[in-house]
Amino acid sequence: MGSLNYIQGETGTQVKDVFISPDAPHTLLLDKHADYIAAYGSKKDDYEYTLSEYLRMSGIYWGLTVMDLMSQLPRMNRQEIVDFITACQHECGGVGASIGHDPHLLYTLSAVQILCLYDSVDALDVDKIVEYVKGLQQADGSFAGDKWGEIDTRFSFCAVATLSLLGKMDAIDVDKAVEFVLSCMNFDGGFGCRPGSESHAGQIYCCTGFLSLTGQLHQLNADLLGWWLCERQLPSGGLNGRPEKLPDVCYSWWVLASLRIIGKIHWIDKDKLRSFILACQDEETGGFADRPGDMVDPFHTLFGIAGLSLLGDEKIKAVNPVLCMPEDVLQKLGLKPELLS
Amino acid sequence: MAESQSELDVLVQRVVKDITNAFKRNPNIDEIGVIPCPEGRYNRSPIVVVENKLGVESWCVKFLLPYVHHKVLLYRQRKNWLDKEALVDITSTLLLLNPDVTTAWNVRKELIQSGVLKAEKDLYLGKLALTKFPKSPETWIHRRWVLQQILRRLSAVDCDGKQQQGEAERAAVERSQQFSYHFAQLLHKELNVCSDAACSYPSNYNAWSHRIWVLQHMAKGNVKVFHDELSTTRQWVSMHVSDHSGFHYRQFLLQELIEEFSLTPAPSKNCSPLHQSMPRTCFLPSISVLANGEQSGIQTIDEDERELDLAKLFELFHQEMELCSDLIRSFPGHETLWSHRRHVFYLWHQWRWEHQLYFNCNGSTVLCNIGDTDQLKQGGQGSGDCGAGSMEVDGISLPDSRDSKRLKRGFRLSNPPSLSSECTFLSTILDRQCNPEQRHFGLAYKKWLESVIGKEL
Ligand SMILES: [Zn+2]
Repeated sequence: MGSLNYIQGETGTQVKDVFISPDAPHTLLLDKHADYIAAYGSKKDDYEYTLSEYLRMSGIYWGLTVMDLMSQLPRMNRQEIVDFITACQHECGGVGASIGHDPHLLYTLSAVQILCLYDSVDALDVDKIVEYVKGLQQADGSFAGDKWGEIDTRFSFCAVATLSLLGKMDAIDVDKAVEFVLSCMNFDGGFGCRPGSESHAGQIYCCTGFLSLTGQLHQLNADLLGWWLCERQLPSGGLNGRPEKLPDVCYSWWVLASLRIIGKIHWIDKDKLRSFILACQDEETGGFADRPGDMVDPFHTLFGIAGLSLLGDEKIKAVNPVLCMPEDVLQKLGLKPELLS
Repeated sequence: MAESQSELDVLVQRVVKDITNAFKRNPNIDEIGVIPCPEGRYNRSPIVVVENKLGVESWCVKFLLPYVHHKVLLYRQRKNWLDKEALVDITSTLLLLNPDVTTAWNVRKELIQSGVLKAEKDLYLGKLALTKFPKSPETWIHRRWVLQQILRRLSAVDCDGKQQQGEAERAAVERSQQFSYHFAQLLHKELNVCSDAACSYPSNYNAWSHRIWVLQHMAKGNVKVFHDELSTTRQWVSMHVSDHSGFHYRQFLLQELIEEFSLTPAPSKNCSPLHQSMPRTCFLPSISVLANGEQSGIQTIDEDERELDLAKLFELFHQEMELCSDLIRSFPGHETLWSHRRHVFYLWHQWRWEHQLYFNCNGSTVLCNIGDTDQLKQGGQGSGDCGAGSMEVDGISLPDSRDSKRLKRGFRLSNPPSLSSECTFLSTILDRQCNPEQRHFGLAYKKWLESVIGKEL
């Protein structure tokens, strides 16, 4: 998903954990969050807007998905969004982050995800997307993010996620793709961006998600990986993405979703995580921040809500841990990614 | 401040020009930043250069960024023509303000391909952007692309030279030397860029994974570079004990050096003990000799060298574990240090596991089947409880670790890590009045040794 380009862009300091004040929010403020997202798109401050335009498509995916999880999708302007997406597809089949931006796998996946929420995949030329994704696979099975050739396990995930949503997985060499992802597995059971790279919760999410979509979860060392993932939980209840990093709502999602995929979600303290996520809400503006007291944004708002959904909150729709989309949307598509129990 | 759109255009164009001129006048600018300054002053440029630092006054960023952003996108949609020079200036201004605009880097890739822009220019631009945005994923991605272009060009020149004969040959040799020089320079500079970014942001994943990429693409098989990296980062990690990425880099170096010592073939994940398959089948005469204590393996002329390699390998592990122990004692309660310990111990464990079969086979070239390790498993029964002290606990048939070990040719072996040495270390840590975090991580390490390492023996 498009949020993947955020995975490596998180901030942190030397402090090891956060303190949650007793008066931090501890109930879910659903209405506030829906208002926050609905209003977000309408204020288009020139400066702020251009700063994040390079990932606009993913931004829309975050906003719409969280609205759908809160059963508020009808509040968004469907036609405007669908037309925008159509305008972002390039001749080569790939989709750019916004009009005039170059095509990339990250935004191609986001675009397909959004159109699945709206059951309007036909707004894009699907055959061309499939050709685009197929054309980015390399001889060693890896995927380049775009025609310039950068290799990353995130892109392997984007490729198979896009194709599975389109029901076209057979377009690529799945065996080779699996081989490459497995070559990025580390001694701790985790994964990095390329062979030899450090394990990272975001990359782990991509790789477990990838193995789920390709039906290869048995290739994981689930005990070892589960061990590493559980060690991400800090005394505050929040999860971090690597040792000695701060807890963060978005990393809480990557780790929690990975644990769910490998069937080890019960290995962490769910109540404490829930309290941490709830404490990251802004009672006044609505929305979630990375940590209690920080500025909210749509990205952390999606992962806050999605995390609470995985933890079993009944006021939120069930979320699929692999694709980070509402389960009912995937059911309509007949998609049921593999999960370990 | 500018009022109308046309005034704004004039203002912004002037600022873009000021930036371009600042770079022309000061080719040694090495850092960029925004100067907090809520309002502009009439007749004064918002671009300031002080001691090779280029500053942009904050008031103008709000106009400048949307303007150059818009320009680049209009150009991309073929709605607005820009000549090459303007395109270079506009994209560089945009990228210094917001280096994650992928499309702007792509425009520059095309300029490089068409020969308008020198690839080295973008290594410089990226380096500057990283002084303000040390993690910027797109900047690192662009660097890798640019480096590949330069490497391709350098090696093309080098290959050309090698095909020459006679008179041309001398010139070719010269060119080849030039190539080596340029190459070494390029590598050196790139490692420095990584170091700077690592210093300005803790556990900078992008900086350290780029550094790994650089070694994989520019120093493959160059043992000297790997050794140098190991010694230069030693000091660095000692001063950044929370930086997991820095320590991971050392783990990567160790693993590469193990391979380069030709004691083991390239690791394949499927061959590691944690991934339950057959150990690999390489033939290592010198180790057979060692295992026997006498010459029963096949002699090779390289034997001295191989024994030296083995001694070096032991020394590497020994030193890394010592470093780790020192840091754990000096800086209690750092998860990074304990995680590093796991990895180093694991690397050692894996190396030994892959070679125990050869120890066991007394130098015979017959490949042992997996059943032969059962013996070792029995020897390792006590491994779960961290008490037993002999080397058999670890399932290794080297001489006892506490004797001073000498290889046949007289190289001294450093003490390799063993389960028993780890248990001794743990008891000194846990016995002390250690802080709760240290205890927590120490106990987790013990549990890891017992359940991950112990289970395999
Ligand atoms: Zn975050």
